[in-house]
Amino acid sequence: MITPAFDPVTLATPFFIVTVILEIVLARVRMADARYETNDTAVSLFMGLGSSVAGALTAGLVFAATIWVWQHRIFTIPMTAIWAWAAIFLLEDLTYYAFHRLSHERRVWWAAHVNHHSSQHYNLSTALRQTWTGGVAGTWALWLPLAFFGFPPAMIAIQKGISLVYQYWIHTEAIKKLPRWFEAVFNTPSHHRVHHARNAIYLDRNYAGILIVWDRLFGTFQPELDAEPCRYGLVHNLATFNLLRVAFHEWIGIAADIARAPRHVLGWVFGPPGWSPDGSRDTSASLKQRASVRVSGHARPTVLTPQTEEA
Amino acid sequence: MNGAFFVQLALSTAAVGVLVGIAAWAKISRPAGPLDEPKARALLEQEFPGRKVDAIWIAADGCGAMAKSGGLALVICRVGDGFACRQIPWPQAVAATFKDGRLRVNLGDAAAPTAIISLPSWPPENLKGDLAA
Repeated sequence: MITPAFDPVTLATPFFIVTVILEIVLARVRMADARYETNDTAVSLFMGLGSSVAGALTAGLVFAATIWVWQHRIFTIPMTAIWAWAAIFLLEDLTYYAFHRLSHERRVWWAAHVNHHSSQHYNLSTALRQTWTGGVAGTWALWLPLAFFGFPPAMIAIQKGISLVYQYWIHTEAIKKLPRWFEAVFNTPSHHRVHHARNAIYLDRNYAGILIVWDRLFGTFQPELDAEPCRYGLVHNLATFNLLRVAFHEWIGIAADIARAPRHVLGWVFGPPGWSPDGSRDTSASLKQRASVRVSGHARPTVLTPQTEEA
Repeated sequence: MNGAFFVQLALSTAAVGVLVGIAAWAKISRPAGPLDEPKARALLEQEFPGRKVDAIWIAADGCGAMAKSGGLALVICRVGDGFACRQIPWPQAVAATFKDGRLRVNLGDAAAPTAIISLPSWPPENLKGDLAA
């Protein structure tokens, strides 16, 4: 009930290794669409490795907090009940959506998440480019309500692992579109390519973990458009492969901004990425607005569909 | 952290080494040739849409470019098989260190600390009138 009997991520690690090799080899023999650049791949994989070390350093705190909250739970939910697994599947996925949206829309949490988006490539190694500072950012606290509700800590940990493993395989250009029913319900390579794209219309879209229905429900869904090929990376791409800069550059940026204008500390920390007191920098919203005016001469819908694109 | 964690870490490190080696062997990066003026202008239009480029200088090795746009310098530098762009005040670009045919531009950004652009000379001698401002 407290410690998980297995860790889905650890179990999936050989699968990660084999499928990265498979993607590279298939691309090499031109049977799959994938691009790998050596330094970029090294950064992605070492960020993944560092993330597991950083995660281990803060695991004790996260574990202790989860246990403490669970000891004060409202209900006692059995780990053996099928309904309980169905419930945690939905609630954990909704929690992930909230976490992910927060991680993109508020700078302090973006600072922890940005490195996952910092590659100009989109391949299976990009999935492993994980944060080193998630524990410090404290977003793990978003999962505490599940323990308070009564889900056992082991159950939460297993479901979080399942979600992470699910999200691995969607980091690929090798798979184009899946059957319509699947694209309608689940997060897919196509939906997640949009999420990793830096094109203005794709910014801050498709936050889903496993179920894309949350994005459809909360108005953040954007389909991939043939007329707008995804360009991957950040609005301002990194010009370095230095791991420390990749991991900490946004934290350094926040610190520099606070040092320069301390009275705007709340805006620098909790404003959207790109926020500035005088509006001289670009946020996702301002970039979207400018792009829509440039294309059509007036503001277009925030979410484009293939139909509106053609219109 | 227990012994098993460190064994797992060591194995993962070895696996990373193997994967990076395979990625290097495969040679499947993007086919990004040297930057020329049309490519640099297209890239600047993509990165700084609608921004007028007054003048542009392309690195001799095709790995970067510097452009003047009003009071700003638009800098392009190569990162792997892609490019990164930044804008800085034009006087900052003019004051950049130039030595042995390499312009070292401090971009003042933790994510893009320095751009190194191979140019025949710097600052440009052909700037006149408004361009020199």
